[in-house]
Amino acid sequence: MIVRLDSTFVHSQPVVRLEGIHVLFGRTLALDLETLEIEAGERVFILGHSGSGKTTLSRLIKGRLKPSTGDVQVLGGDPAARESRDHRTIQRRVAMIDQEFHLVPRLTAVGNVLHGCLGRVSPWKSLFGWYPPKEWQKAEEILEEVGLEGLGDRRVETLSGGQRQRVVIARALMQEADLILADEPVSALDPELAEDALELLVECVARRGVTLLVNLHQPELARRFASRLVGLANGGLVYDGPPDGFTEDDAELVYRGYRKESARRRECDDGAEKSVETAASHPDLRLVRP
Amino acid sequence: MSSGPRFAEFFTRLVPPDWSATQLVVHSAIETLMIALAGTALAVIVSLPLGFLAASNVSPPWVSQPTRLFLGLIRSIPLIIVALLCVSAVGLGPFPGMLAIAFHSVGMLSKFYAEEFETADEGILSAVQGTGATWAQTLRYGLFPQSVPQVVAFSVYRLEMNFRDAAVLGLVGAGGIGYYIQLYVRGFQYEKVAVLLLVIIAVVTVLDQLSFWVRRWVR
Repeated sequence: MIVRLDSTFVHSQPVVRLEGIHVLFGRTLALDLETLEIEAGERVFILGHSGSGKTTLSRLIKGRLKPSTGDVQVLGGDPAARESRDHRTIQRRVAMIDQEFHLVPRLTAVGNVLHGCLGRVSPWKSLFGWYPPKEWQKAEEILEEVGLEGLGDRRVETLSGGQRQRVVIARALMQEADLILADEPVSALDPELAEDALELLVECVARRGVTLLVNLHQPELARRFASRLVGLANGGLVYDGPPDGFTEDDAELVYRGYRKESARRRECDDGAEKSVETAASHPDLRLVRP
Repeated sequence: MSSGPRFAEFFTRLVPPDWSATQLVVHSAIETLMIALAGTALAVIVSLPLGFLAASNVSPPWVSQPTRLFLGLIRSIPLIIVALLCVSAVGLGPFPGMLAIAFHSVGMLSKFYAEEFETADEGILSAVQGTGATWAQTLRYGLFPQSVPQVVAFSVYRLEMNFRDAAVLGLVGAGGIGYYIQLYVRGFQYEKVAVLLLVIIAVVTVLDQLSFWVRRWVR
């Protein structure tokens, strides 16, 4: 694994460290993790049903969300501390690939990719649309790397879904981040394109030795690309280990939580005033925690 | 009851137009157009940052609320009063006219810009911010490109309005075609007033077409 020497981050400490995390949305416990550490260079894939806390976890790591209790450390700092001097640096060093691509549709592909370097170029010059020539060159190279050579001048709104996905990946790579978060990056694509896009992402990330954290709905894809799998159900950790060790039983556990949850929601809807049961109070799920 | 026929008779006095006034009128119409152009340009430059400050999705409430109040105050002052004050402050001529037009436009343009900025896709903003961009960079690269077509459309529309507004500014000594409107109307030289009207109609029509083309071009 390549270790990036230009990085000021000391790789002996984990890239992400979560401790005693509770995230509450109203009365619902969306995420409940005792500890979760991600080391540099890992490719962690997170599996879980809709509402299991996958997106909450990546928003927590990106700093878009503060935990109700607990401590989030990303690259040695708190990503949600906006007032901190390191805030912009941490933002730059953690790239995020959203489920909806969030590209500027009116801008060209290369214009969107160049957004990746905003964290390191002169804030004043860039306000006048000026980027250093070496950043332009880098953006072109990355577009080529993701298979979009010759499409840089096309507006994003004229590109297909698969091409837009590649632009998003290119923007994340342009950021020269130490950690790339991808929140269901391929859910908008058909199965074949999804596999291609994921393969591309993993290849590009491996080439750079960057840490990767992907939320995914497809266990078979996750097993293929991950170096480590994490299973979430109802906001709690139900599997954490190598992809080979992820059995049908584990898959059942990850997705069983979903069926129970929906059955219970229906019960609640019947009018009984029960508080929403969570992973924390769920005996089955509690047992499986490491 | 007799006002109908009198009104019709009045219109007959406009013909035939007295073309001897053409050169003078066209010259002053160009001055009015310049007042409108410069005033609109100045207003756009001032309104963009004010629009950002007044947009509640990118500025905190303690900034956006007072800014909106301030813009409301500007809008509530009639243009003619602004023009009179500008003439008193800097003297006669097109310069105070330009200042008055700019001041008056800022109230409306900033409000329109702010409302347009507020419709921007939040996801794109946080995606751009997430690259480590500063607040200003996020506005420049995440917010502004989304709003360009509407910002341009409002601005050219305001230019069209400003030409018509600037046409009456001469009445208070703030330059342009308005001076001749006052001169010819009060001097009962209706044949020359006809030329004035034709020139104003021509310029407004051209501006209207221009704004149509610009809006179609910027998408």
